[in-house]
Amino acid sequence: MTTSAIDSDDRTEMQEALEALLGPVSEPVLLAGGASKEAWSVDAGGERLLVRRAAVGVIHRHTLSLRHEFEVLEAAYEAGVKAPRPILYIEDLDGREAFVMERLDGETIGRRIVRMDVPAGLAVEMAEELAKIHAIPRDRLPFLEAARLERMVDELDEFGEPHPAIELGLWWLRENRPPARESVVVHGDYRIGNLVVDERGLVGVLDWEFAHVDDPVRDLAFGLVRAWRFGVTGKRLGGIGDAEPYVERYNELTGADVRPEELDYWELAGNVGWAIGCLTQAQRHLRGQDRSVELAILGRLGAEVEYEICHLLEQAGV
Amino acid sequence: MSERPTAQELTEAIVEFLGGEILPTLDDPRLRFRMLVALNALSIVHRELAALPTEDDSEQRELVRRIRAGDVPPGTLAHVKADVEARLRVASPRYLDR
Repeated sequence: MTTSAIDSDDRTEMQEALEALLGPVSEPVLLAGGASKEAWSVDAGGERLLVRRAAVGVIHRHTLSLRHEFEVLEAAYEAGVKAPRPILYIEDLDGREAFVMERLDGETIGRRIVRMDVPAGLAVEMAEELAKIHAIPRDRLPFLEAARLERMVDELDEFGEPHPAIELGLWWLRENRPPARESVVVHGDYRIGNLVVDERGLVGVLDWEFAHVDDPVRDLAFGLVRAWRFGVTGKRLGGIGDAEPYVERYNELTGADVRPEELDYWELAGNVGWAIGCLTQAQRHLRGQDRSVELAILGRLGAEVEYEICHLLEQAGV
Repeated sequence: MSERPTAQELTEAIVEFLGGEILPTLDDPRLRFRMLVALNALSIVHRELAALPTEDDSEQRELVRRIRAGDVPPGTLAHVKADVEARLRVASPRYLDR
């Protein structure tokens, strides 16, 4: 069976299922990327829509169900965060969970964004949207779970592979933890690659499936992780700008007074998390949940993140 | 060091991708034939790698156990970094030019 034959059957069924709910729609187009969730582009009643649907047989721990992801998107949209307008949650779309949201125009591919002529104000806009996210009342989304740093250790131990660099990172994080801040609703994956950007700036925040309750600075610092600079390593904030104006604006809006060493701490934590994330992705291939060269190779490319962990530990004076 | 995916597991992933996703899209008979030959060659590599003994990672495991216990003597980071560097020379040599 070829991939295109599967797509074509799927597309027809998808179109019929959507038309039952939304009326006549254009032919759905399956967009690239997203192993655990599919993204379909479709137009209905003059509106440009995006349908997110669960992929077949993929159970991904530590991410929100589509129902909860939709509720988070609703809360964010209500709070005035630039995000796609949520339209409809569908419990059973041709046998799978899905939701429909507005399809935003702009670039999402990190590698392209860092080479675009983005306005200098993008860093400040990123801070503004994040401040709005962190202000969403926790009781608005009672199902969100609190993160524990220890979960990273549990995940690492499941693989049974020795990774001394990750272990050193975890050791340093345990020894140097800054005073805890009050936990807030966080995006959980706030970085270039999960934002829609155009030449005027930030268009919208996407990919809410990692939302949870956590230290706000962890969320703030995740976008500094070197892997999300997409090769433009001199610009610490996602390859698009310096960290200072971003953090200053965040401090101004939230009154948080984030200190540089706190930011460094959580940047290192972000790297440790992503190093473990690479191993998790490779495991999905190795365990046969989702066979793909793309996932497999992350098991090896994780060495890049481990190297960065070593570099940051050196900077920290270890 | 038992890095995963191992070289054998990587070749297996490539065989699956080329055979399962690319081969069915090839209409040119000459290209189809060459792809089948390439897949056969890759399968030889795969079987040859399967015959290699597994590398001993007991030293790495011991190091991880000590770091977990908080036993991090001076020089540990330098040692660990040199090891990551050696892995990067295989996995992504250009990253070291950073």
